[in-house]
Amino acid sequence: MFFSSLLNAAPGAIAQGMLWGIMAIGVYITYRILDVADLTVDGSLATGGAVCIMLMRAGCNPWLALLCAFLVGMLAGMVTGLLHTRCGIPAILAGILTQLALYSVNLRIMGSKSNQPISVDKYNLVVSQRFVKELSLRNPLIPAIVTLAVLIGILYWFFGTEYGSGLRATGANRRMASAQGIDTRVTVTVGLMLSNGLVALSGALLAQYQGAVDVNMGRGAIVIGLAAVIIGEVLLGKVFRNFALKLCAVVIGAVIYYMVLQIVLQLGLNTNDLKLFTAAIVALFLSIPCWKDSVRTKKGGVRNA
Amino acid sequence: MKKALALVLAAMLLVSMAACTGTAPAATTAATTAAAETTAAADETSAQTEADKTYVVGICQLVQHPALDAATQGFKDALTEALGGAVSFNEQNASGESVNCATIVNSLIASNVDLILANATSPLQAAASATADIPVLGTSVTDYASALEIDDWNGTVGGNISGTSDLAPLDQQAAMLRELFPDAKTVGLLYCSAETNSKYQVDVIRGYLEEAGLTCAEFAFTDTNDVTSVTQKACDSSDVIYIPTDNTAASNTEAIANVVLPAGVPVIAGEEGICKGCGVATLSISYYDLGYATGKMAVKILTGEADISTMPVEYAPQVTKKYNAANCEALNVTVPDDYIAIED
Repeated sequence: MFFSSLLNAAPGAIAQGMLWGIMAIGVYITYRILDVADLTVDGSLATGGAVCIMLMRAGCNPWLALLCAFLVGMLAGMVTGLLHTRCGIPAILAGILTQLALYSVNLRIMGSKSNQPISVDKYNLVVSQRFVKELSLRNPLIPAIVTLAVLIGILYWFFGTEYGSGLRATGANRRMASAQGIDTRVTVTVGLMLSNGLVALSGALLAQYQGAVDVNMGRGAIVIGLAAVIIGEVLLGKVFRNFALKLCAVVIGAVIYYMVLQIVLQLGLNTNDLKLFTAAIVALFLSIPCWKDSVRTKKGGVRNA
Repeated sequence: MKKALALVLAAMLLVSMAACTGTAPAATTAATTAAAETTAAADETSAQTEADKTYVVGICQLVQHPALDAATQGFKDALTEALGGAVSFNEQNASGESVNCATIVNSLIASNVDLILANATSPLQAAASATADIPVLGTSVTDYASALEIDDWNGTVGGNISGTSDLAPLDQQAAMLRELFPDAKTVGLLYCSAETNSKYQVDVIRGYLEEAGLTCAEFAFTDTNDVTSVTQKACDSSDVIYIPTDNTAASNTEAIANVVLPAGVPVIAGEEGICKGCGVATLSISYYDLGYATGKMAVKILTGEADISTMPVEYAPQVTKKYNAANCEALNVTVPDDYIAIED
């Protein structure tokens, strides 16, 4: 009974996990590739949602609205980048400042209302929770998978180009990259722009999926993003070595996070403890690499020398 | 050990294939692996028995909060009174994050509930988006037209949605303000910018107050952190302050009281909880009664007596003029006889 209702809930959890996976890829770019802790995502997620929903309500084509959300997310990333590289503000603080400012910006975009609905009955949504269990083309899993495939393909190509490699070098060792002639101020900003563009795209899709945009919807998003990145690394880090597969691992991490959340809900525990259990389970995942190492050192032998 | 685990996982995979209910294959594999990782015994709250007339009702509440809790309790009481043991509840709380509402609603639909109670705006939106078949009753939602984007609002939502609204008549609240403070010239409207319901009430009551010749100014705080400073600013430039049914204000009445009482500015509150904490008077609705009324609607829908698509949104059954004795005394406000004192 528990398993059958869990299976029933699985498509929804997977769809949500995939949409958050886009955001997790954005976090991966800043956290792992650029080695910059970017907290702007709490604000840019809602910004993406706000831009997309408001444009669609004004009659814009949904794909165009998604593109605009991506571009506005890039603007947000650019602000953080400029604050960090040109004003000398530490990256974390720059992210927090932008996220703070984005709250007001989001309210303005939403016409001073903190919540704007978008009904699947009235608009041509790209993804909607309504159809997540249908075996049809309207199922949100399909655009989610297609978007992820296209994004991972583009990112794989980009980070293989000379400029993309420059970005990776900046993350690996900023001073060395600078010594090699890479303008690290620009590459950091570009990386932040790319990351926040993806986060905003994810926010736009999520807002369509859940049928409304709320000015607080990004709150705590960085936690989910980081959890997804690390869960993906912990579980699949040794198996997936290819860059494209690493991005897939991040998405799988997000899907697992949402499956865990779904399980916690289905277990029917005290509803006030939802956050506690989610944190406990994520903490468990994150402790695995540490414990694995300490177990492994106890084994002797030539192989482990 | 690893081989045993692999065998167990493979067995679970096979079992789940048999139990597949038409979900995508990729979903099944991922679900089984995740399910196998949970070793805790399943504590099922949604009891589905073989008998015909048992109902499972799913409740999605946005945040832990006295008013919302009272509404849920009233709802459950009404259902248990009418249907007794034939109804069971699957109660979930999004802990203040609107994104969790989609996950919770997904879980309720997956558990095949017969009806969903959406307690607050975000759950209502998530439920409306996720299902067009399962009846959804909203409660503690102020304005259904703006929450669900309905043009030509005529009082009925239609489709699979209905519910109750916690809107206390704003014109009567404006009249109460003028009754208690006839000499007031400026009114400060204090609310949380993240709550659409508050903005809606502020906009409407502003109309009534300005019609009566009062000057209104809005003071919006973003969250708990700037309540005190924004309230101080409101006190500095207002004779009276009005606070709508705002969830954040309701959670911070102490902080607000600590500013308004020393400043000597009276507060008219949109609901009793806020008034008890920092206000002088309110046109009280009982969230418990609101939830109870929603429960009665649910009984009619579950037993087939009424069709949800034709049920209009209901409002609080009664409003009472109430005042906070201690605060009135502290601020020297005389209260007419038809007001009832709020008990502690």
